Amino acid sequence: MRNKAQIIFIADDDEDILHILQIMLRTQGYLVQGSTNPHTLFSLEELPDLVLLDIWMSGADGRDICQTFKKNPATSHIPVLFISANSGIEEIAVNSKADGYITKPFEMVELFTKVKSTLEKVQELQ
Amino acid sequence: MTESISYGDLVAQIEELKVQLLESQNIIEAIRTGEVDAFVFKNDDKHEIYTLKSADHTYRVFIEKMAEGAVTINSEGIILYCNSSFANMVGLPFEELLATFFVDHIPEQYKEVVSRYLMEGWKKEVKAEISLVSNQKSTPVLMSINEMTIDEGPALSIILTDLTYQKQVQQQLHDLNQQLEQTIRERTNELFRSREHFKFLADNIPAIIWSANANGTPDYFNNRWFDFTGAHVITSDSFHSSIHPDDASTYMEDWDRAVKNGTSFQMVHRIREGATDNYKWHFTQAIPYRNDNNDLVSWFGISTDINEQKLALEKKDEFITIASHELKTPVTSIKGYVQVLQYKFKKDGNQEAADMLQKADTQINKLTGLITDLLDVKRIENGQFRYEQVTFDFDELVREINEETGRVVKTHRLGCHLDANCFISGDRNKIGQVMTNFIDNAAKYSPVGTQIEVETKVINNCVHFSVTDFGIGIPKEQIPNIFDRFFRVTGDKPNTYSGLGLGLYISSEIIKRHNGRIGVESEKDKGSRFYFELPV
Repeated sequence: MRNKAQIIFIADDDEDILHILQIMLRTQGYLVQGSTNPHTLFSLEELPDLVLLDIWMSGADGRDICQTFKKNPATSHIPVLFISANSGIEEIAVNSKADGYITKPFEMVELFTKVKSTLEKVQELQ
Repeated sequence: MTESISYGDLVAQIEELKVQLLESQNIIEAIRTGEVDAFVFKNDDKHEIYTLKSADHTYRVFIEKMAEGAVTINSEGIILYCNSSFANMVGLPFEELLATFFVDHIPEQYKEVVSRYLMEGWKKEVKAEISLVSNQKSTPVLMSINEMTIDEGPALSIILTDLTYQKQVQQQLHDLNQQLEQTIRERTNELFRSREHFKFLADNIPAIIWSANANGTPDYFNNRWFDFTGAHVITSDSFHSSIHPDDASTYMEDWDRAVKNGTSFQMVHRIREGATDNYKWHFTQAIPYRNDNNDLVSWFGISTDINEQKLALEKKDEFITIASHELKTPVTSIKGYVQVLQYKFKKDGNQEAADMLQKADTQINKLTGLITDLLDVKRIENGQFRYEQVTFDFDELVREINEETGRVVKTHRLGCHLDANCFISGDRNKIGQVMTNFIDNAAKYSPVGTQIEVETKVINNCVHFSVTDFGIGIPKEQIPNIFDRFFRVTGDKPNTYSGLGLGLYISSEIIKRHNGRIGVESEKDKGSRFYFELPV
């Protein structure tokens, strides 16, 4: 099944956090693409297998991005995880039809577990 | 031996007695009819004379001795008789009064009226108050005139009753009355002033003041209520119609409950500002008033405008939300880099560097904890604290927490006695947060190297968790505040111990939300035992 590396797209307006997430997830063998501009998500050449999305970003709201992404039938099956320091993240995740969330600051192990289990869940459904 | 008496002697004795009886009857008749006024009695050895005084002597004595002045005048107004009381009243000897004109003894200002009264007196009884003067001393008298007939012909009897005492009593009564009236006037004034004062106070105080009857129906509002709400009358619906629709049902429910149970009432709610249709936040408090029989008679309430404070609080909450987000962002970066570095050092076999980074990570977690506490407090206050409900093994959670904290608390010996052996239902993470808080506190407030005891057991269907330390303890006077927000145990010097003073407050809120009980036993310089109980 895993003959091809899975693609993770990350949108976070904080370059450092974006950098760290990329480093961490690459250690786990994922193909990681990141951007400080979340709108990049809608112009990707290849669809990702999972999206990690910050909520409060300069010039964009993760909630809107998520909802637009999930409304599109072509991308609605792709899991989205919010990754944010926002206090109401749990509720936001539910309301925006996201598949889960990771609170900042996060434990690296927790990030790996969450990403892995979310990807597995999608694969099971397929 | 008795001498024998003959029949003839007895007849003679009876005849003698009959004569004596007849004589006695005649004398009594003579006395009764006034035919005699003296008797001569013959005793065994001598004669004795008894006189009978004139028939009206008794009355004369009687009249003479009475306190009232008594005068008899003839048709010309000349005094035929007067008693000594009258003589005293006019200050003349008794002898000088007889055969003088009665009116001559009347003070000048009364002469005319008395003359008139005397004329009237011949026709009917007259009563009038005048004054008599004796040695320049005036005596108020009641004069009563009656016509009568005596031996000398028609006459007027005049009785003069001294009214000095009555007048004195009357005067005293009058004075007392005056005093009473004065007192009543003063009291009425005071009452008026105090009522005015109350009204002034109630209408100018910067709050809405109201009262309600025992059924909770409002019966008074001060001016501020009418000014603020724009209402003109008090109705049973006054509260409900002015409170924000979102607050009204809770308000009425709470108020009805307070009225039903007779307990005090408190609520933060919005009231409509009449003209503008704006709502402003108010804090309303009401207490029941009971009479001496402990019957609830009425309610007194006050509603204070807290709009600015409430908005400031909202701003503060918003600030905390943003601040915590902004603080967490750099912390996330630092933590991320630390973890990546730790991963790399570990992979390269540099354990020393990895361990150092682990310590840095621990400190970062502490920092995150502080930020989270701030947010938790905000959420607790706003009722936004979310609780999950799961069933879990209580001892299992304690073991996990011990393991986690054990990594942190390397400075103390952690003793563990787990004997709960039960499952409970609640928010596992938050109950774990309380346990961590207890253990962290125990380590923080006790000397390095001392023992910390963690214990679980079940008593009366309640699972019991406690953490005992042998540290500085808590001064007795600080124990009641220990679970208050921002409260920190102070040592001899301020800021001896770090922390925001939020941990125990959050813990107590978490336990309360699980219908549990939180508490502490402590002695200064001996140590503390923090515990909580949750229903199984």
